[in-house]
Amino acid sequence: MSETVMSLMRRGAITCAEQTSIREVAQIMVVNRIRYCVVVNQSHEVVGIISARSILKAFGKDLDQTKAKDILLPYTISITPSTPLKEAIELMSKRKIEHLVVVSERLGSKAVLGILHASDIVVHLAGD
Amino acid sequence: MARVCDLMHRGVIYCYPEDNAKEVAKIMATNQIRAVVVMDESGEVWGLISIMELVGLYGKELEKTKAEEIMRPYKIEVDPQWSIEGAIALMKRKKIDQLIIIDPHAGPKRPVGILTSFDIVQYMSGLKIGHYETQLKMKS
Repeated sequence: MSETVMSLMRRGAITCAEQTSIREVAQIMVVNRIRYCVVVNQSHEVVGIISARSILKAFGKDLDQTKAKDILLPYTISITPSTPLKEAIELMSKRKIEHLVVVSERLGSKAVLGILHASDIVVHLAGD
Repeated sequence: MARVCDLMHRGVIYCYPEDNAKEVAKIMATNQIRAVVVMDESGEVWGLISIMELVGLYGKELEKTKAEEIMRPYKIEVDPQWSIEGAIALMKRKKIDQLIIIDPHAGPKRPVGILTSFDIVQYMSGLKIGHYETQLKMKS
């Protein structure tokens, strides 16, 4: 059977709220040594993702007044743990995104289960 | 205002153009980095392989793919004395996360360091390396 996202995804994800300031998002990334932050709403459903490069959009602005919702990349790609790994990687490669948010299998659910990282794929490629 | 040389990492981790993609993946995994500079034996930069170039090789034969076939050819000259605004504008325009920094005094195409989008995020966060726990003030 072919591999699924489940085999390489990291369980759990670092999140922030839509109203979190960009300074705080930058601090969350630095403290956790990650290059993404998943933006969730009050029901803990994914709204979008902020990458290190999207933080640069706020450079020169007031970092305490600019909020996560102002610069996030909206969540549009639905990946679940049972998605074939090949399909997820093709999507990453085509869209040039380093992190895919993995959501629950439940129909219509946007509950965050984990993250598929490009760096984990490279570790997988290096070890084969 | 900060300059590129204030935020960049000094020195680069590199591979040779004839190295295969498997070796590049190992360099990236071992050093926990997202980009490897491709240099020839004279120390001249040829290009850069980022993590996304390797991800695109999933399912293919990595041992038969050479670094020079997948690298992004080096075209952008970034001087250590540039302002951070200039580097950010370039990253946004080219949609890239790493810039190879070339010091004109070191010779043509001789890399002296690398600047990543994460280095700039760290600068914007206002946190200093090594003291995160004491410096991060979470609102209660």
